[in-house]
Amino acid sequence: MAFMELLQVSFSYRGQKQLLNDINFSIHNEGITALTGPNGIGKTTLSKLMVGMLVPTTGHITLKGQDISGMTLAQIGRLVGYVFQNPEKQLFCPTVSEEISFGLQNLELPEHDVQRLVKENLPYFELEHLAQSFPLQLSEGEKRRLAIAAVLVLEPELLVLDEPTTGLDAYRKHLLGECLKKIVASERGVFMISHDNNFINRYASRILILENGRLKEHGC
Amino acid sequence: MGVRLTVKMINLDPRAKIVIVLCLSTLAVFFNTPGSLLIVLIITLLLLQIFQVKYISLIYKFRRLLPVLLVLLFVQSAFTGHGQVLIAFGDVHILTTGGVSSAGCVLLRMLILFGSAMIIATSNSRDYVLALVQLKIPYEIAFMVLIALRFLPIFIQEANDTLIAMQLRGVDIKKVAWGKKIKYFTYIFSPLVSNVLIKANQLAISMEARGFRVYPRRTYLRVLKYNLLDYLITILSLSLTLAVLTLSIVR
Repeated sequence: MAFMELLQVSFSYRGQKQLLNDINFSIHNEGITALTGPNGIGKTTLSKLMVGMLVPTTGHITLKGQDISGMTLAQIGRLVGYVFQNPEKQLFCPTVSEEISFGLQNLELPEHDVQRLVKENLPYFELEHLAQSFPLQLSEGEKRRLAIAAVLVLEPELLVLDEPTTGLDAYRKHLLGECLKKIVASERGVFMISHDNNFINRYASRILILENGRLKEHGC
Repeated sequence: MGVRLTVKMINLDPRAKIVIVLCLSTLAVFFNTPGSLLIVLIITLLLLQIFQVKYISLIYKFRRLLPVLLVLLFVQSAFTGHGQVLIAFGDVHILTTGGVSSAGCVLLRMLILFGSAMIIATSNSRDYVLALVQLKIPYEIAFMVLIALRFLPIFIQEANDTLIAMQLRGVDIKKVAWGKKIKYFTYIFSPLVSNVLIKANQLAISMEARGFRVYPRRTYLRVLKYNLLDYLITILSLSLTLAVLTLSIVR
């Protein structure tokens, strides 16, 4: 059984023409799937549908066989981690440390485990020196690293990343790529939206292209 | 004929629209009986129809206000004690015609206020800045009003995104106890305030870099002109409102 399945999914924003048309695909919680396509074609919309932020006009989406329309965002968030295109949107805690620990506390982990995971993740994303800083005052690259760290620490089975390489320098792109490889090695999947062809070609095991509201597999 | 009237009304000078809204709002605040408020509401809906504003969704949104109105209904019935008693528990009035009337008035008044405000949305916000400037309001203040109007939907969207991000990180907002819910709402509030300050600072720099307030006077690409229909609508709205108010006071 596929981890996530989109069946005949179509979507249009109210009063606008159809953006996504009869999308069918499935994702297993393994490997890195990349979604690419021109600007404004509906890639971010598709990712928002996948995490339940938007509801399809027609069709349905299942997560581990269960229709996500019957699940709360918190339930979906336990299985699927989502990093927004604009990381600022998901940073709301007063400090970088609290930002990383927020989700862990919601999982009701013991305090020492939360502390340990925060301490492990801060240096990995080179945020150790910023542990007590206000997240919205960080640079763009730092905000993105923090947003990814805050979601990754929850160890979701599928990680959805919207334009994760924007604002990252070559070294940090490499770090991100290596991190994604580690996620995949731990039997979890990654779905990323990106225009960064070099990054996609280097790390993605499957490439999907969105064109004129329809999805096609690279090479098909 | 109908289409031409609609086009003419939509193209009314924003100042004339402000006058219409002020007149309707004044009447809504002044009247205190469901009958008279219903007449003002019908006039408001007719105007919205002429301005081609889709008001059905507004009425539908007011269903969320029903619990508040129900509370108001019982509070008014229990404490004001006017009107005929419909339901009583011993000496305590649970439901009176006065309470029903008061709750109805609140609902009608709010519908009129929100409905009339929708007329404002039929003009470009930029035109309201021009209108305010031509009403001798300093440009800085008029511009501030425009900025507030323009950024409001963006901030609402940002708050909504933060709420979604929070839920995706394990917060089931519907199941959370009130004490914790308040804590989570402060999480929404702090990035919002911070973003407002950051955006205000960036906007100020960008405006100054483009010569804002370099000279005491500024010119405008477009100047609003009050034409015959604008004068007619303004005079008609003001005179009708004054006549109705005078008649009501005299009676």
